[in-house]
Amino acid sequence: MREIARLVLVLGLIAACSAAALSYVRTALEPRIERQSDFYVRGPALERLFGAPASEVLGNKIIVEADGLSYPIFYFQTEGRLAGLAVEAPGKGGYGGDIVIMVGLDLESGKMLGVEIISHSETPGLGAQVEKASFRRQWRNLEIGSPAALSGNGGRIDAITGATYSSKAMIDGTNQIVDLLMKHEEDVRAMIARRDDRASAESGRDR
Amino acid sequence: MNLIELTLGAIFVNNILLAQYLGNCPFCGVSKKLGTAAGMGAAVIFVATLSSVFTWLAYHYILVPQDLEFLKTLIFILIIAALVQFVEIFLKKQSRALYESLGIYLPLITTNCAVMGIALLNIKHGLGFWQTLVFSTSSATGFALAIILFAGIRERMFTSPVPQAMRGTAVALVTAGIMSLAFLGFAGMVE
Amino acid sequence: MTLLQTLTHGFWRDLPPFRLVLGLCPALAVTTAAENGMGMGLAVTFVLIFSNMFISILRRVIPGKVRIASYIVVIATLVVLVELFMKAFFFPLSQQLGIYIPLIVVNCIILGRAEAFASRNPVLPSMADGLSVGLGFTLSLTLVGSLREILGSGTWFGMPVFGAGYEPFAFMVKAPGAFLCLGLLLGLMNAWSRKRGEIFIQT
Repeated sequence: MREIARLVLVLGLIAACSAAALSYVRTALEPRIERQSDFYVRGPALERLFGAPASEVLGNKIIVEADGLSYPIFYFQTEGRLAGLAVEAPGKGGYGGDIVIMVGLDLESGKMLGVEIISHSETPGLGAQVEKASFRRQWRNLEIGSPAALSGNGGRIDAITGATYSSKAMIDGTNQIVDLLMKHEEDVRAMIARRDDRASAESGRDR
Repeated sequence: MNLIELTLGAIFVNNILLAQYLGNCPFCGVSKKLGTAAGMGAAVIFVATLSSVFTWLAYHYILVPQDLEFLKTLIFILIIAALVQFVEIFLKKQSRALYESLGIYLPLITTNCAVMGIALLNIKHGLGFWQTLVFSTSSATGFALAIILFAGIRERMFTSPVPQAMRGTAVALVTAGIMSLAFLGFAGMVE
Repeated sequence: MTLLQTLTHGFWRDLPPFRLVLGLCPALAVTTAAENGMGMGLAVTFVLIFSNMFISILRRVIPGKVRIASYIVVIATLVVLVELFMKAFFFPLSQQLGIYIPLIVVNCIILGRAEAFASRNPVLPSMADGLSVGLGFTLSLTLVGSLREILGSGTWFGMPVFGAGYEPFAFMVKAPGAFLCLGLLLGLMNAWSRKRGEIFIQT
């Protein structure tokens, strides 16, 4: 009996110390990890979509919850007006799981700026070819208001040969974003305006 | 996603051992005899499938809701270790012969990168429950296939004139490389 | 074994994964580039030093029955810490190494040294053992990584080595190249060993 008590005690203590150490480190490092992830993963994508240095845009971030999913949105302003959005969505149905894409939207012209891949687990040489610029170029100047589709289904996007699932996942992600804007554009703009006010109030205070 | 494609992909195209490098320690150690290799393969299929199910459930119903995904490494290995213990106890009682023949290799399944690797891949690929079940069984079958093929080749190699320096693990690795090259030919079979 | 011997045995006598045939998975998986190999090696070294340290400190306290379970908890905790640390400070590297970072927890080297050394030796020698085996492993990984990167991509640590006309052996950075590279290197080391009159440790 004493032996079992000792077993449980020692294992329990080790587990408790482990849990404490991990929780502490995690809480301490989480904000930094978030920023690193944004900088390395989303930064280059944002630069390519907006044509502006990532540092200008990375700070302009809101997260919209809709239909049980969270959509990170980065916004771009010119002369105080909301000019562009980059919306991130998980395209479902990829061969290796979700393909997380980021679609750039030009709000003034109503057309898409392009699409960037944030993360994927597709097969190298096959589905991974969604990363190719020649494939993604097809997203430029698509109408924001209308759903995208593969050319096999009457749409304008040519799928990658031998990578049907991956191509479809790209379409799925794009349409989630189209949907999001059709239903929630006003809410998104309101959220951005609120966040903007907060941000300028804070920086005003710092001055 | 089509379950058949998932299965074929896991066994051939992305073979857990020959393409994803997972499960090498037992590969070089156990594959000397065909019988042991087959036993190991079967044991891994069993443990990998069970542990994938439990780790998947733990991840989606405990870790994610509590925002504790970062603990998956710790929780997964504990689940696997516990499972292997249970399997050991179970085999000892139910099938003494199998238990004896597996010997030390049974507890070694705990540190088999393939088992832990499959559990992690299920999460990485964002698979659903049934997909996880199919994927883990298939991946482990791919491992068993590779290890059995390998054992067959190695048994023959023992009676071949291999240069002294290359005997043992060295030539085993080179053989694995050639097998891996062969399996590369499966790429493009799915999708 | 004296402290000096402990500090150096990981560099040849018990060099993983060649002489001490453990830790093959990462040796094959992450050595697509020299930098990745080195990063992985250093991460493993970190875990080795501290797991050996903790297990040595606790060696008289842990009851025999829960030995392996306790080791696993300690090692896994350290690996999660390394994961978090890498994501916070070496993000691109952590992306390159991917799932192989959490897989450090099943790296046979760490459990192996815990069982073979840390559980029966005082703290300082255990840490020295961890350092030595870990750094030896790092050297091996960096070596294999360098070979595969130079032959397979024509670069070394990202810097181009050959001229623009070099046609790389693409398969070197894929699975077959990994196995072949490791196998041939091992063969070379065995031959060298025999010349020096040493006895083989692995078969």
